[in-house]
Amino acid sequence: MSILDQRKLIESIHPFELLSASTLDNLMKKIDIAYYPKDTLLISKNLPSIVFYIIIKGSVSEFIDEELHNVYGAGDCFDADALIYDKCDGKFLVDEDLICYEIKKEDFLDLMQNKVVQSYFLQDFVTRHQHLKDFDAQSDLTPFLMSKVSDIFLHTACIVDKSESIHSAVLQMKELQTSVVIVEDSMKHYVVTDTDLRDAVILGGCDIYQPVGTIAVRGVISIDINDFLFNALLLMTQNEIKRVVVMQDDKIKGVLEQLDLLSFFANHSHLVAVQIDKAKNVEDLKNLQQDLKNLLIALHSKGVKVRYITKLVSALNIKIYKKVFDMCVEKSLHEKCALIVMGSEGREEQSVKTDQDNALIIQDGVDVELFREPMMKLNSHLLELGFPVCSGNVMVSNEFWRKNVRQYKLLIDGWVTSLSEANLQQLSIFLDSKFVTGNVELLNELVEYLHHSFHARDDVLAHIAKAVLNFDTPLSMFSRFLLEKNHNNKLDLKKGGIFALVHGVRTLALQYEIKETNTIQRIKELNNRGIIDKNFATELMESFDTLSSIRLKAMLEAKDLQESNYINPKNLQKIQMDLLKDSFKVINKFKKFMSFHFHLNMVG
Amino acid sequence: MFYSYLEKWKKNRNFSKLKEKRFSYLFDKDTSGEYIVFDTETTGLNPKVDEILSIGAVKIKDNKILTSQTFEVYVKNSKEISSKSIQIHRIRPCDLQNAKNSKEAIEDFLKFIGSRPLIGYYLEFDVSMINKYIKPLFGITLPNKMIEVSEIYFEKTITLIPQGNIDLRFDTILQNCKVPNMGAHNAVNDAIMTAMIYLTLTKEKLK
Repeated sequence: MSILDQRKLIESIHPFELLSASTLDNLMKKIDIAYYPKDTLLISKNLPSIVFYIIIKGSVSEFIDEELHNVYGAGDCFDADALIYDKCDGKFLVDEDLICYEIKKEDFLDLMQNKVVQSYFLQDFVTRHQHLKDFDAQSDLTPFLMSKVSDIFLHTACIVDKSESIHSAVLQMKELQTSVVIVEDSMKHYVVTDTDLRDAVILGGCDIYQPVGTIAVRGVISIDINDFLFNALLLMTQNEIKRVVVMQDDKIKGVLEQLDLLSFFANHSHLVAVQIDKAKNVEDLKNLQQDLKNLLIALHSKGVKVRYITKLVSALNIKIYKKVFDMCVEKSLHEKCALIVMGSEGREEQSVKTDQDNALIIQDGVDVELFREPMMKLNSHLLELGFPVCSGNVMVSNEFWRKNVRQYKLLIDGWVTSLSEANLQQLSIFLDSKFVTGNVELLNELVEYLHHSFHARDDVLAHIAKAVLNFDTPLSMFSRFLLEKNHNNKLDLKKGGIFALVHGVRTLALQYEIKETNTIQRIKELNNRGIIDKNFATELMESFDTLSSIRLKAMLEAKDLQESNYINPKNLQKIQMDLLKDSFKVINKFKKFMSFHFHLNMVG
Repeated sequence: MFYSYLEKWKKNRNFSKLKEKRFSYLFDKDTSGEYIVFDTETTGLNPKVDEILSIGAVKIKDNKILTSQTFEVYVKNSKEISSKSIQIHRIRPCDLQNAKNSKEAIEDFLKFIGSRPLIGYYLEFDVSMINKYIKPLFGITLPNKMIEVSEIYFEKTITLIPQGNIDLRFDTILQNCKVPNMGAHNAVNDAIMTAMIYLTLTKEKLK
C-alpha cells in the first residue's frame, strides 16, 4: 500500500510513467531516500556521481564554471549525463535541504536498457544540451566513422584472365553469384559489369567466345581494406559507381557492393545521390533539398567530423550543379566550356548553402554569347533550388564571370599588376576554383597560368596575405572572449577566425603552387612540402574543424544568413568553449606565422 | 553511571527470561550502523485490549533511508475490526486476507530489526504493542535501544523558545521539519516520514 504511494510519486515524474508495471515494481525495490542538508556538494569534477537523484523536496543548484547554470526543484531529476558519461563538468550543490530518491548507478544504467527511458534521456540530452558533447566524440572517431572496409561483408571477386572467353567468364560469374567480373591483364585490372555484358554482347553483338579482354575497358576503382567505409561511400558518390574493388597489400581482396554499404549508412546519402541522378527536372531536384538538410543534421548529430560532412555535401551539390548544367546547356556545347564553383563551395567547405559563387570558362574561339541564355537559365534554376544569390554577383549570370580563356588570362594579368581591393577579392574567390562539369582542361590551363603569373612575386603575395590581419581574433590577452556589443554580445566566427585561416592557407597555396582547393588538403600539402611542421598542421586542422563545427551548428539554427556567422559563447558548453578558445589561440599563432613568413610588418 | 548499570541489569534480567535461544541475537551488540524506524497500525490506542493490524519499518544508514529494504506486514486479528478504527488506518477486513498470523509476523519483524536501535514517534506505544505479543511468546520485551523523535524535536525547539508550549503533534513536526506529507497514513509511510524527520533533526549541519 505504502509502496504504492511512493510509486505514484515516481510515476508522476517523466519518463518513469512510461515504464511497465513490472519494471516499476522492480525499480521501487531499489530506490532509497536520502537527506542532504543545505550546502552539501553532491556531484563535482572530483566527486563522481554514483546515484541518480529524484528530488522529493528541496532544491539543488548546478554550477558550471562557478556560474549558476540550472536549479532543480521537487520532481526534477539529475544527472543522467554524469552517470552515462561518467564525468561531470559542473557541480551540484544543495540549495535548500534536500530529500530525494536515489537510484544507484548500476540500477539506473540497467534502466537505461529500456528503450523508452534510454531514448528519453538520450534525446533529452540532445535537445537540452544541444549535443555539444559530440565534441568529445569528434576528437576520436565515432563508431559511425570508425567502421572500416574490413568490417563489412565483401563479395568474392571473380577474377578472370583477359584471354578467357566471355562465355567462361560469365559462367564463373554465375558460380560466384557476382554481378561484376574483374579482368586481369598482366598487372592491370579492368571491370566488366552486367551492364557492360548487356551492351557488348546482347546489344553490341559480340561473339561470346571471343576473349573477355576485348570488352574490358574500364579501369578498376579500388579502396584499401583498412580505409574507412565513409571514404568508400565518397568514392562511390563521386564516381557514380555501384561497387568498389577492395585491395589488401596490392592484391584484390573482394568487392564492396553499394547495397551492403547502404545498410551501414542508414542516412542513405547515396540514395540522395541516386535521386539527383534520376531527377528529370528542377522540380525533382527541389524535392530533394529537405533530404539534404536532414542528412546534414543527422550526420552532424552523430558526431561526424564537419570536414567529412562538408565533403559529402559538396559532392552532392556538385551533382546537382551537373544535373542543372545538363538541363540548361546543349550537349554540343559541353566540351567547349567549363563550369566552375568558387569560394567555399570550391573549397568543399560549404555545408549549409551559402552564396553561389560560380563562373564559366569558355574555350577560345567559341562565341561567348552562345552561353548567355543557358547560363541565365542555370542561374535561375539554382536560385529556385535554394542556392542563394551571391552578394558580390559572382555568378554565371554576370557577364564578368562568363569569359573565354583569353579574357580570363587578361583578368589574371590585371590581378598581378594592380592591388585594388576589388581585384584582391576576385583573386581570392578565383583561387578556390573547382571544376564541376564540361572540359576540365580549360580550368587547368587557367590555374597553371595563374600560378605562373604569381611565381616569385612575393611582393604581391604579401599584399594578398595582409588581409589575414584585417580582423582581430576575438580573444583578449587573458584568454577571454571579446564580444561585439552591437551584435547582442556575440562574436563573429568567420571574421574572427575562419577567414584568417582560410585566406592565409589559400595565399600559401598560391605561393607554393598547390592545386588543392580544400583548406584541410592545402594544409596537408603545405606540411608535405615542409612549409609548416606536422604539429602545427594538426593544430590548424583541428582548429579549423572546431570553428567549422560550431559555425555549422550556428548555421543550422540561424534564421537568416547574416546572423549565421555569429555565436554567443555563453551558450556553448564548457568543453566547447575551451576548444574555441584554443582554436583562437592557434589562429593567433598562425597570424604571427603569416606576418613572419610574408614580412607583413614591412608591407604598408 | 548508575543509569547505565541499571540499563545493563535490566537487559540481563530481560535476557534471562528469554524462552527461545534463537532470539538471542536481539541482545547482541549492534554493529550494522543502521537504525530501524517503525510504526504500527492498531485497532485502538490501548495496548491491553487492542491488537496490531500492520507493522511498517525502514532502515536508516547515515543520511539515507533504505526504502529499498522496506518491511511491511499485515497481521491477522482475533477480533472484528471496529468501523471507527477503519476510518483512521483504512485497513479493511478484506485487506487482511493475505495477512500473516501474529506469531509469524512478529518473528519476521524481529528478524528485520535485529539488535539495531529503534526510532519512532510516540515509540513507547508501538514498542508496548510489540511487547504485548513477544512477552507471552518468548518471555522478553524488546531490548533494543530506543530513540524518540518527538523528544529530539522538543530539545531542539525548547532552546529556541524556552518555557514555551511545544506542539508535538506529528503533522506539526512534519511541517516544521519541512518534510513532505506523503498523505495516506499507513505503517510504512509513517515510518518513512518519521525517518525523514529524524534525518532532518540529526543530520543538520552544525551551524
